[in-house]
Formats: sequence, C-alpha cells, structure tokens
Amino acid sequence: MIFSGETQMKSALKLETGCNHDMDENREQKLALFYCERTPESSEQDKQSLEKKYGNSIRLFPIPCSGRIESLHLLRALEEFADAAYLITCPEGECRYFEGNLRAKKRVQKAQEIIKSIGLEGERIGIVMNEHTKSLARQAEEIMGSISHLCPSPVLHPHRS
Amino acid sequence: MSQLKKILDKGDLAVTAECGPPKGADPEAIFKKAELLRGKADAINVTDNQTATVRMSSLAACGLLISAGLDPVLQVVVRDRNRIALQSDILGASAMGIRNVLCLSGDHQSFGNQPQTMGVFDLDSIQFIQVVKTMRDEGTIWGGEPLTKSPELFIGAVANPFADPLGFRPVRLAKKIRAGADFIQTQCVYNLDRFEEWMNMARERGLTEQVNILAGVTPLKSSNMAKYMKKRVSGIDIPDELIKRMEETPKNRQRETGINICVETIQRLKEIQGIRGFHIMAIEWEEAVGEIVGRAGLLPRPSFDQD
Amino acid sequence: MITAEQKPIDEIREMIAPYKRILALGCGSCVAECAAGGEKETAMLASTLRMAAKIDGRDLLIHEKTVDRQCVKDFILPLDDIIDQYDAVLSLGCGAGVQAVAEIFPDVPIMPALNTEFIGETRDQGYWVENCVGCGDCVLYDFGGICPLTRCSKRLLNGPCGGSRDGKCEVDPEVPCAWQLIIERLSKFNALDRLEKIYQPKDWSMKQGLGPRNIIREDQQR
Repeated sequence: MIFSGETQMKSALKLETGCNHDMDENREQKLALFYCERTPESSEQDKQSLEKKYGNSIRLFPIPCSGRIESLHLLRALEEFADAAYLITCPEGECRYFEGNLRAKKRVQKAQEIIKSIGLEGERIGIVMNEHTKSLARQAEEIMGSISHLCPSPVLHPHRS
Repeated sequence: MSQLKKILDKGDLAVTAECGPPKGADPEAIFKKAELLRGKADAINVTDNQTATVRMSSLAACGLLISAGLDPVLQVVVRDRNRIALQSDILGASAMGIRNVLCLSGDHQSFGNQPQTMGVFDLDSIQFIQVVKTMRDEGTIWGGEPLTKSPELFIGAVANPFADPLGFRPVRLAKKIRAGADFIQTQCVYNLDRFEEWMNMARERGLTEQVNILAGVTPLKSSNMAKYMKKRVSGIDIPDELIKRMEETPKNRQRETGINICVETIQRLKEIQGIRGFHIMAIEWEEAVGEIVGRAGLLPRPSFDQD
Repeated sequence: MITAEQKPIDEIREMIAPYKRILALGCGSCVAECAAGGEKETAMLASTLRMAAKIDGRDLLIHEKTVDRQCVKDFILPLDDIIDQYDAVLSLGCGAGVQAVAEIFPDVPIMPALNTEFIGETRDQGYWVENCVGCGDCVLYDFGGICPLTRCSKRLLNGPCGGSRDGKCEVDPEVPCAWQLIIERLSKFNALDRLEKIYQPKDWSMKQGLGPRNIIREDQQR
C-alpha cells in the first residue's frame, strides 16, 4: 500500500494516541467501497485486480447508479465487516439518471447522522463525487488513505476495559 | 346601564380607552390606571391575557374598575375558555355590574408565555357574539335552557380594516353585526386612505347604520415602535411617511410627535361619515390618553352615573 | 394516512435497555409511506441498535419483521408462531399498531419506536402535512374542500381572524391562512355567499366521544 505524507502523519498520530483496545494497531482498515459503474476504469477486470491488490482490506460493490444506494447498505456494511463505508458517484451534474448522485448524497448524509447518533465518527461513512474523474484504483487508494487514522470500528471490536 | 351605550344612543361621539391588567395579583395596578383614565374616557376596555400572556383576569380587573366607579368593557377571547366557561363568565360579569363585553378570537397561544397550553377555540368570536346575544335577548344559554336572569350587556366586536383578505372584511363585519354586535372597535388606524376605503365599503352595505363603529388609535412612542409594529404586528398598516416623520424627529421629542399624529388622526376620522367614536389604545402609556382626548376636542366627557 | 416520526435514538435505547431478544416490527402501510416505520426503516433501526449494542459490549438480538398493516388483528395473529422467541417487541407502527399488537400479545412487553403525529397527505416527496383532525362530522363541502378545523390555527368556522397577513397565518409566515385559501377556492366556484351565513358552533362531542370512539358494523362481521 502506498500512503501519502498526510496519511503517514495521521497513522503516526493514531499510533501515538492509541485506539484503546488490544487489537494490533497496524491492522489494516477494512473498507466497503460502493461505486457507480461509470467510474473510470472500473470494469470487472479492474475490480479483480484491485481485489488482488488489497485482499481483505477492501470489498467492492459496483452499482448501476449511485442513486441505488440505500442508507441501509452503508449501515449494514459497518455492522457486518467494515470500519468504513464509502460511495463513489459521478460528478455533480453528470449522473446518467440526472439526480441519482444527488439522492445518494442525501442518503449518505442520513447514514452519517445515524452513526453519529450512536457515537461513531461520521467519517466512517463518506461520499466522493468524482469531480476529477479519477480511476477506481486511484479513488480507492485515496479513500484508504483518508480513513487510515480511524481506529478499528468499535462495532466489530468492542472496547475492553 | 352602560355609559358607552348611553352616549352612543344619544348620537354623541364616544371615547373608550384601554387598560392592561398587571402580570401579578396587585389590585393597585388597576386602580392607578383607573385614576389616569377617569374622566378621560366613557368606558375602559380591559384586555384578556393579551398576546397569550398570563395576566390578572379581565373579569377580575373589570370588577375592580366597577368598585372604582368606572364603566369597564370586558374583553373576552375564545382561546382560553370553552362555551361553559364563557357563558358562566358572562353571567358573572353582568352580576358584578359590568355592562359591556368585547368578543374576540385572541392571539394564538404560541405567542405568549405558555406556548405548550392547549388553545381551546370551542367557539369562534362570531359564534360567541351570537351566544351572548341569545343570553341577553332570549334569556337562555346556548341550546335553549332558560336563565334565571338574563345578563345585561352591550356587545362589542373588533374589526380589522387592514388585515387580509381586504375584500372579505366587510362580509366579516356584516356577520358580526348579524350575530349581535352593537359596537365595533377597530384595530388602530394610521393609514387613513385605506381606512376610508373600508368605511366606504361598510357604508355601501348599510353597515354603518346598523352598528356603532369606534375607530381605534394608538399613539406612537418612538420611531422604533413604529418600525416594529409595521414589521411584526399583523393587521397594522403604518404608512412610510409616518415612519419617516417619527424618524426625523429627535429622540426626546418623538413621544410628542406620536401624540400629534394621534390627534391629527382623530381630527381626520371625525370627518368620516359613520364614525361614532374613538378607541384609544395607549399601551403602557395611559397618561397620554388625557392629553390626546383633550387636544382632540373631546373633553369634557359626560359624567357617569353608575346605576 | 397517519404520519409518524422515529423517536430520538437515545430514547429508544433507553426503552429497550432491559431486553435481550427483541422483535423489531415494522408496518407496510402509513408509516412506510412517510418513511418512518416501513420495512426499510425497520431494518435501518435494527442495524443501528445492534451496532450500538456491540459498541457497548452488550448482548442484544434484534430480528426484523414487517407486517402489511399493524393495526389489523388478522395481520398480527401469524406472529404467534414466532413471538415466543423474543422477550419484547419494538414496534415501528403508529400508536394504533402498537396497541393492536399489545392487545393480541398482552404478555409481551411492547415499546413504541415512533411518535405518531397526524392524519395527513403526502403533498410532495418528503413532505407530509396535516389536513384532518377526525372531527367525526365532516364539513369540507361548506368550505370548498379546505378544512378550517385542521388548517386554521384557531379552528375558526367564521374566519378569518385579524391576524391573516399576505395570505399567511399569524403563527408562522410559512403557514397559509386557511381562510384565505377557503375564500379563494369558493370564489373560484362562485360560492362565496356560502360564507355569509353564520356557521354554528361545532358539536365537539362527535370528536371526543365517550371514551375511545368506535365503529361497529354488523354487516362486516363474521
């Protein structure tokens, strides 16, 4: 995995502050990544090579339009296996179905509100409206970087006192 | 006998003023205001938990005014009482010697200091007028059961020539008259053109002959008050020229200008056919009433024989 | 339909605290329409509560089930097969649904996940508004299809009051003055003279009833 300077710093910070439980702090984040099929370089082949590269760290979920995402999908991902769940949409104004990505944005916000209400960090759920039309691989890398400072999810690894 | 009724029956111009009860149990507050208004008005309105704010009850305050030898106008809103309580208060009021009642909807409960209460609104103001008239003229409560003694009350209602929808206002006025209103007190007038328009519509329908219309006036205390009222209080129309006039007056002379405007307004209202008197609402400024009434040429008031 | 909104999550967590095996019961009718208690919302709430329990290190089993209509006995009875697995029911039905279930399973603790609000319509996507108070004596014809009891803040039958400004109610500049609407509507039908007559006081006993109101139809009984 390749980390940027910023995320190296964030990871170092995490090591310093600690995540307050007895899991290996260098343990990889597990990301559930939902993405619109129109994301550049996101063919079945691209998906497979990403899966090979990241192993268990990323689970990829292509969807025909980001507007098909439900808040429930994001919640279930966090409940079952993910430290974070992200959604890649087409840039604003460029959804093939016009409003799909706007609807997705609202549903992501709703899911964020919900997890915050039970004490999880809002950043465990996020949306990337692919303004610069980066490839799936590139976005995956950036997102993994941006969540690396998060502790392993307390849902999956409850704190032990 | 209602002093207000006596004067209006004679065909003279009547003057009424307003007295707001205190937010407390001290009767002195009422008596003090009574002295400021004695001899300056024919009858004195006591507001009923105005702006949905808890104050000494209008009924009690009117009782105190009776004991002070004045003629009160009991204001009753339908927001706080069901038809049992309303009719009961009407009987009690008459028993205490109160001879005038003003029937209103009341400001919504969300405006006041008890916003969580339930607004009653069992009857609306027009239905309430009808109920009072039935009690007085037919000697029964609503539904027909006879009273042992009918209340004796001069019935009033409010009219707002400046509220929407403008075209419907004369219809509403007609309904109030048909329901039994003997007199009308209007919302305070600043926009004389619009008020004249409303009076014309009322006159065309013959309403000015059927009911005694008292035009409401309120002296402005300051340019801030003027601006506040224009912006925040629904049903008040203050023309920009008046706001400008207040603003151009130095702060220490604004009260004087406010009174001047009020007196000028009364002089112009006197010219309007169908106006039978004036209702002066000097909110928390009861001292001003005497000066206004005096300068408007409405003093002395006829003496009041309480019988 | 009847509208409702989910209670704050903290309130729900407090209610379910004593229980370990919960059935989250949704309803496919009104509360699904207003996105408060349908199948989707029930799944979301269950997932949220399970995550919260995990964070707390608490043992909690929550299963989800949604019935077509939680206020109809025949739709609730089939739950008999599974109800024994749970020590409490968290209902996402409206108040009627919650109580209907409680009536059928009086020995099972039941908790309301929603605050039931009003009878209303879906005026637009994501926007529900009250338009009926269930007065028991519908007068909509007299007012051109606009209910003054529901939509006038003072329930005036001989409105408008003096607080109507620019077609809005004095309580909130977003709330239309019902009487302005009534006058406009009746004008359209040339029926404005209907408002000349004094509308008589309402018989509120039709709304209050003697105890909870009910309807009995023998022609509908088994």
